[in-house]
Amino acid sequence: MHGEYKMPGGKLVVIDLELRDGRLAEVQLSGDFFLEPDSALQAINGALTGQPGHADEAALAAAVRDALAADVMMYGISPEAIAVAVRRALHKEPAA
Amino acid sequence: MMRTDWRDHDWQLIHTAPQSPTLHMALDDVLTHEVGAGRRAPTLRIWEWASPAVVIGRFQSLRNEVDGEAARRHGIEVVRRVSGGGAMFIEPGNTITYSIYAPQSLVKGLSFQEAYAFLDEWVLEALAELGIKAWYQPLNDITSEGGKIAGAAQVHRGGAVLHHVTMAYDIDAAKMLQVLRIGREKLSDKGTQSAAKRVDPLRSQTGLPREAVIERMTATFRRLHGLTDDYLSAEELAQAEALAQGKFGSPAWLTDVA
Repeated sequence: MHGEYKMPGGKLVVIDLELRDGRLAEVQLSGDFFLEPDSALQAINGALTGQPGHADEAALAAAVRDALAADVMMYGISPEAIAVAVRRALHKEPAA
Repeated sequence: MMRTDWRDHDWQLIHTAPQSPTLHMALDDVLTHEVGAGRRAPTLRIWEWASPAVVIGRFQSLRNEVDGEAARRHGIEVVRRVSGGGAMFIEPGNTITYSIYAPQSLVKGLSFQEAYAFLDEWVLEALAELGIKAWYQPLNDITSEGGKIAGAAQVHRGGAVLHHVTMAYDIDAAKMLQVLRIGREKLSDKGTQSAAKRVDPLRSQTGLPREAVIERMTATFRRLHGLTDDYLSAEELAQAEALAQGKFGSPAWLTDVA
């Protein structure tokens, strides 16, 4: 499943995932955003994996935020934008 | 750490013979590290390409961004760089790419948005001298009345900031669209008309050969900030060649975001 969201004033945020037993699996975040250190990408994928498929945007954004170390820098992407891309993937909405 | 100004640094210029795409990826890694460690003075590097390439951003999905079959058909190597941002379509002579390796102190206290614009102020001035009215378009683009000119990306590492930029000189848009999977929204963002055969904001707006544009740009940098001709040390090149053959040439790195 695939969802895309162009963050207003930001970059393209893309989520690919599977839904297994009602939970997010094989979550892959990608896009043309800026994220440092780059290991934060795996931390975000890990934080989303296992979340219930019915989790709302606020819960998904909180899960992402909780997984990020204090020194992580985001530019053109945010926990909220990632949450929107996840919901779009789950709803199979057409790409933004 | 005190904020520094351009003139507080002894800027070096590296502009060598054409190099392979993986070596360019590795040189950015090595030279950022060397400037951060204080072993190399802050440096401007102009890239020359030995062969065609698609350079994808650190976090871009290989399969979502690149048509691998089309890339193979055209003999185009696909590489992943250390910085975020979008994909670049490179054929020797179709773009102007440069890297700035600066101490973090040069952008201390600036927001990301300010730091991008600050590190390219000299380019806007060079473009103005070439008769192009250009401006910074947040987050990371340089654009003009004739469409988008360039995209920038930054990475902060170990006391240094890498700021690299690719400018469209004369791009074969048809071939680019065969190799890159670019949506219609993205295409309009790049200033491309759907029927356009070439994306050539620098060539068409200056009427100058690519080499002359580069010469004018480095002259502007030299006048504003000072610039001494330099070369890669044997040790820097050896480190970069090892990284090019190892990390940056490996399938694991290329498919890190599959």
